[in-house]
Amino acid sequence: MNSFIAFIMGPMVWISAIIFVGGLLFKFIGIVQSVRQKEPYIFSYMTLKHSLRSIGAWLVPFFPKSTRLRPVYYGISYIFHILLFVVPLFLASHIVLINEAFQISWPALNNSLADWLTLVVIAALLFFVVRRQMVPEVAYLTRPSDYLMIAIVALPFVTGFLAYHQWFAYRWMAVAHVLSGELMLIIIPFSRLSHMLTAPLTRAYMGSEFGHVRHARDW
Amino acid sequence: MKPWTKKYIHRKNKMKKWTICATALVLMSATGWMVVFAQEDPYVERLDTWAFESPRRPGAVFSHDDHIMDLDDDCSICHHVYEDGELVPGESSEDYYCSDCHGTEPAPDNQMPLEAAYHNLCRDCHFDRGKGPVLCGECHIKE
Repeated sequence: MNSFIAFIMGPMVWISAIIFVGGLLFKFIGIVQSVRQKEPYIFSYMTLKHSLRSIGAWLVPFFPKSTRLRPVYYGISYIFHILLFVVPLFLASHIVLINEAFQISWPALNNSLADWLTLVVIAALLFFVVRRQMVPEVAYLTRPSDYLMIAIVALPFVTGFLAYHQWFAYRWMAVAHVLSGELMLIIIPFSRLSHMLTAPLTRAYMGSEFGHVRHARDW
Repeated sequence: MKPWTKKYIHRKNKMKKWTICATALVLMSATGWMVVFAQEDPYVERLDTWAFESPRRPGAVFSHDDHIMDLDDDCSICHHVYEDGELVPGESSEDYYCSDCHGTEPAPDNQMPLEAAYHNLCRDCHFDRGKGPVLCGECHIKE
């Protein structure tokens, strides 16, 4: 069992990190190539200024008009996306592991604060599930794979929360936590979770089309 | 009724049933596990945390006697002596505290801070020997 744990906490971390970074890189190259083949004139009006302006505008909470029209959904979505990165990256236990592997370290969240923020992440994911069932236009577009995606994101947080509290089956919970984190990293480039790459690209395109061609705003 | 509406309602009902079943299953197994495993711990021997200013976790569970037996009375495996970054073979340091050499904060003359020293020594040995706890909560068991 120890050698299995050594594998999933050692080589498997590298494998999933390489698939995550490499997969997104290949996806990016693929997108650029297919634009070049199908609609190369897009590049003629893409500008860095309008791209960054649109990305920036959509990063400011409630700055874009459509986010103000649905303040609850976008509010929860903003908080969720920030915590999705902040909680794991600033968790004391994760920083300890990184420090022992690479001798680098940064300030950590207080453990009990991180505990509560984990519950906020899980609550936000539950909200997304309920929204997919209750809002008719969203329910109509929802496929089972949408719930699967939510489950894949929820698993590392649920297992991490349960492992931290050591309520039951600690060893299995910790193993499930490591594996589900790696599963999420591996699946990102091959699923709609890749919007962490494609969303800024969409904004760059829309920002250029609206800003540079139509001289209008896209927020 | 339009055909796409019909299909949508049918699919939604099916999904609802599936969701309810899955949720019920997860909740039931969770309660089951908690009843079985949430029992009071007997007394456990732990490492002292006095050298740390504000320890984030309870001291690691540790039985000195078990380790003496498993390591054939070779104290120097844990109570080692390093000089200029090199292990001095045969020398041992039972008369010192770990924190006498390993300060809590990393510094140029303290390459192996106390926390990392414990983690590396215990965990790496448990990995190498294929026995003993290796995950955070297996040593830092909640009090």
